[in-house]
Amino acid sequence: MSNARPAPPRGPGGPGGHGGPRGMAMVREKPKDVKGTVKRLVRYIGSSRYLFFSLLAIMVFVTLLSLAAPALQGYAIDAITLKEGQLHVDFPRMASILTLLSAVYIASSLLTYLQGLFSAKLSQQTVRVMRGDLFEKIVHLPIRYLDTHPHGDIMSRMTNDVENISNTISQSIGSLFSGVLTLIGSVAIMLYYSPMLTLISFVTVILSALATLVMSKFMRKYFAAQQALLGQLNGQVEEMVTGYKTVVAFSREDTAKREFNETSNRLQDTAIRAQIFGGAMGPLMNVIGNFGFLLIAGFGGWFALTGAITIGTIQAFILYARQFTRPINEIANLYGQIQTALAGAERVFSILDHASERQEAAGTLDVAQVKGDLDFRHIYFGYVPGEPVLKDFNLTVKSGQKVAIVGATGSGKTTLVNLLTRLYDIDSGEILLDGQNIQDIPLSELRRSIAIVLQDTVLFSDTISANIRYGRLDARQDEVEAAAATANADHFIAQLPREYQTQLSESGGNLSQGQRQLLSIARAVLADPKILILDEATSSVDTRTEMHIQQAMVALMAGRTSLIIAHRLSTIRDADNIVVIENGRVAEMGNHDQLLSAKGCYWRLYQNQFAGIAT
Amino acid sequence: MKRILSYLKPYWLLALLTPVTMVVEVLVDLMQPTLMSRIVDAGVLAGDMQVIISTGLTMLGLVVVGGLGGVGSAAFGSMASQRFGNDLRQAVFSRVMALSFQQTDTFTTGSLVTRLTNDCQMVQEMVNQVLRMFVRSFMLFAGGIIMALSLNVSFGLVLLVGLPLQLIILFIFLKKASPLFGKVQSRLDRVNSVVQENVTGARVVKAYVREDYEIDRFTQANEALVATNLKVQKLMSLMMPIMMIIMNFSVVAIIIIGGFQVEAQAMQVGQVMAAVTYVSQILMSMMMVAMMFQMVSRAMASAQRIVEVLETDPAVVSGGRALPGGGRGSVTFEHVSFHYPASSHRPVLVDIDLAIRPGENFAILGSTGSGKTSLVNLIPRFYDASEGTIRIDGEDVRDLTLSSLRARVGMVLQKSELFSGTIADNIRWGNSEATDDEVRQAARIAQAHDFIMGFSEGYDTVIGEKGSSLSGGQKQRLAIARAILKRPEILIFDDSTSALDLGTEARLQQALRQALKGTTVITIAQRVASVSNADRIAVLDHGRLAACGSHEELMASSDIYQDIYSSQMRKEAVNE
Repeated sequence: MSNARPAPPRGPGGPGGHGGPRGMAMVREKPKDVKGTVKRLVRYIGSSRYLFFSLLAIMVFVTLLSLAAPALQGYAIDAITLKEGQLHVDFPRMASILTLLSAVYIASSLLTYLQGLFSAKLSQQTVRVMRGDLFEKIVHLPIRYLDTHPHGDIMSRMTNDVENISNTISQSIGSLFSGVLTLIGSVAIMLYYSPMLTLISFVTVILSALATLVMSKFMRKYFAAQQALLGQLNGQVEEMVTGYKTVVAFSREDTAKREFNETSNRLQDTAIRAQIFGGAMGPLMNVIGNFGFLLIAGFGGWFALTGAITIGTIQAFILYARQFTRPINEIANLYGQIQTALAGAERVFSILDHASERQEAAGTLDVAQVKGDLDFRHIYFGYVPGEPVLKDFNLTVKSGQKVAIVGATGSGKTTLVNLLTRLYDIDSGEILLDGQNIQDIPLSELRRSIAIVLQDTVLFSDTISANIRYGRLDARQDEVEAAAATANADHFIAQLPREYQTQLSESGGNLSQGQRQLLSIARAVLADPKILILDEATSSVDTRTEMHIQQAMVALMAGRTSLIIAHRLSTIRDADNIVVIENGRVAEMGNHDQLLSAKGCYWRLYQNQFAGIAT
Repeated sequence: MKRILSYLKPYWLLALLTPVTMVVEVLVDLMQPTLMSRIVDAGVLAGDMQVIISTGLTMLGLVVVGGLGGVGSAAFGSMASQRFGNDLRQAVFSRVMALSFQQTDTFTTGSLVTRLTNDCQMVQEMVNQVLRMFVRSFMLFAGGIIMALSLNVSFGLVLLVGLPLQLIILFIFLKKASPLFGKVQSRLDRVNSVVQENVTGARVVKAYVREDYEIDRFTQANEALVATNLKVQKLMSLMMPIMMIIMNFSVVAIIIIGGFQVEAQAMQVGQVMAAVTYVSQILMSMMMVAMMFQMVSRAMASAQRIVEVLETDPAVVSGGRALPGGGRGSVTFEHVSFHYPASSHRPVLVDIDLAIRPGENFAILGSTGSGKTSLVNLIPRFYDASEGTIRIDGEDVRDLTLSSLRARVGMVLQKSELFSGTIADNIRWGNSEATDDEVRQAARIAQAHDFIMGFSEGYDTVIGEKGSSLSGGQKQRLAIARAILKRPEILIFDDSTSALDLGTEARLQQALRQALKGTTVITIAQRVASVSNADRIAVLDHGRLAACGSHEELMASSDIYQDIYSSQMRKEAVNE
């Protein structure tokens, strides 16, 4: 993977690697393994193979009809003939030809409609399946993948890349197939008329191919540079606009403008160059095409004089020679698009090829029977090899115990949560739940017995009700409301315009941080798990609100094994057991009073917090 | 639109040359069939090599000239449109950089980004297309009609039927399709938002084992998108054949009419063939013009959105005078009230009277939504007070130039925003001329030096997207170092230590106290512990100043303060 970030997130807390969508930073790339990628794409298309083959069949007819129409037109005009030194129209003949021509037109329109319909269906069908597969994979990807890959990049594969593939399928397959058919048809007819002239007209083909090759080399260079600059510009805009408050606070507006203008100017210059090359392509092809026409006319005329061919042959030849340069141009134009789509497909497949979380396990677990005994034994773990976060970590938690975990930022508190829920797997040692190694418990059963409330609340763009019901999908409305009441969320919900049916905007933007936290606590209440983890769950709620939540939490924690990670000592003071982590190990353990009298690191932390008052 | 087009004015010559050179190309295009038929009729059919070669060379020469015209118009067109687009983009960006926060809030950052990127691109592309294609199709259209009518007026009859018919069909389809285009966009937004939520909220999805539920949710969104997409494409694949059939039957009609004309000795065979070519050309260019109109109407919407930004006058206007140097950093609020213009008239701050002394260590305490952040945002004029006056060293902030004002006021925001670049680059935002030593010193005070040195690249470590490779606490400390390096007279901490653990925060407080002697420090906090050693503490409650005084005074007199205090400390703490 070329885009794996070198530096993994330091603090594995919170959903680390979030950054807005990366805009259009995607540069037109070349696929690395064309054959393999095409094969896999074909397999996707193959899932609707009847559609595909009907489409091809229709195309054959459309192409045949389009080859027939000009000929019929010619016959119709041929019905006007010179007779007795005067032009005369053979109306009965013309009428029958025109009737046939009309029938061809109608049939070709009908078939064109079907072609459009089928190719739309084919591309949508393929993309629907591909998008579905990709999403299913994303949902089952290990957290480590999401933590180490820019989210904007993953998003862009789902949208830009898949969209590119869709467009290419609906546009290219048709043009490519009918182009090739037309090409073969025209060449066959040309060969039939005169092999010699066909050979001469190949000069045009060679010239166009050479021109395309040379031009596309320049074009690709400038287009790639243009895409890269566009990506850079979009990146700058996003950074400066989203960080606008800081820009203003440090009076950096002028610097921002200067940097923006620089990129903008460079983009302008590159884009002009790219467009001039792009714009030159058409006229150049036109000149080559006309040169070819001239060659045919010249040599044809000469052959005609020597009696090698008839004049009618030249006329027909000219007609078909024009028809056969058109698909060459089209295919040349498609080349770039197909390249981009293949590169996109490769990016999509690279996610699909990533291993999912391992779901199955040797043993089983009856979630209803879980007692909640936890045992961390000799745990070693690091996010990066060689940089251990936990070193020989040991901790035993009894069923129903309330354990608080304290320590400096980066000491590994959240890591414990990551390991217990198997968002990450330990390097060595074992974690036991009710005496069973969690590696042997199916992932879904393990996670069903644990509920987590995170510092960074995650809400979904759905109703308040649905967000709480996330904890238990089959909960009745009165159970949802009871959970909200337990979490002290019922008051603010009652004040919302549509109460529980209020639609939340994306990531719950229309609620305050505190209100969002209350909802995620209500969700955990509803889930009613045996093990509860509160990871800085109340840090963004002000202390007076926290008091209300605290009561709810006490009720919530009763009878459950609870792990509490917090800064505020007020939150942890009542814990049965307080664990201080330092340097990846348990440095101290005991209840509040014991630890204070021990005058160790907990005591120091405590003094720090109350320094202003105690002295 | 006028306003947008005024940005094209400096490039009027290029813009004019584009269609002019295009005329050369189109004229050659129009002449080509005549020359070809001459080569065939007078050369090949007559067996005259001389005519073939001479006419052929003339044609080739003309084609080269036409080709040059084409290249020229591509070059002029892209120069004009790209330069126009560049100027427009820079103007919009520069305007965005001058907006006040309440204005950027109203636009929302996401929409500003789209306006600067997609919308600008759209308008620029439209100018290019109009300059090149519009003129071209219009010339082919008009030229075709003239040529066809000059051949024989009776062909006008076919156009009279074919053209309006095509117009009506086009109108019907576009009318049906345009709401669908919007629908596709919103369905796509929905798919994107489900994916976005799952990528960012993966922890919660996994913790509640909701993978299948999410897949269901996604499938619904996906199916809806596919259905709408198919609807649009079905409509479009119906439109093309219908248009084609009108065109084809016009050709049939031309041949019939041509037949009668020839029979009546009014016309030659070659002319009938030419008429067929011209009529298909006219109908083709009509379709192109129609597509153009669609594009122009879409670009108009973009232009409208750009004009909205350009016509927003900055609400916070710089004052005339520079803040005199040597000030001591006093801040006075006189009867200050404030409400956000967008949100009805619910006041955020009501009649605040407050005098912060030079060099004072001042703290502001209050629950979420009590107006703390709004209060300090008024000092560097991120927002302007709705009523009342704010003075720095006795000067009304509205009379001062924004640059001199903001140079004196440093601010560490609630959300630490970092920028791509190295750690040192980010700290240097405070003072771009600072030496390496000064940068390190600032980092030391902010308790950031140790973790920075923990990275193998130290201060030259490149920060990922928005600092995503750093933890919340690390980001906050870098933001603090940045503000310290600025050495302002007034330094504001807006709840900017929330992600720090207690030990680090305590060390930070101590280092700040030593390093910032003489600086007026204003700290917003939720924890009493963070503020209790301030010289004075202001307690805000629902936008009003509830109390102000030292910790001891407030403990003695303020109910709210006691309430907050006891909620955090409880009785045992006091007994320690």
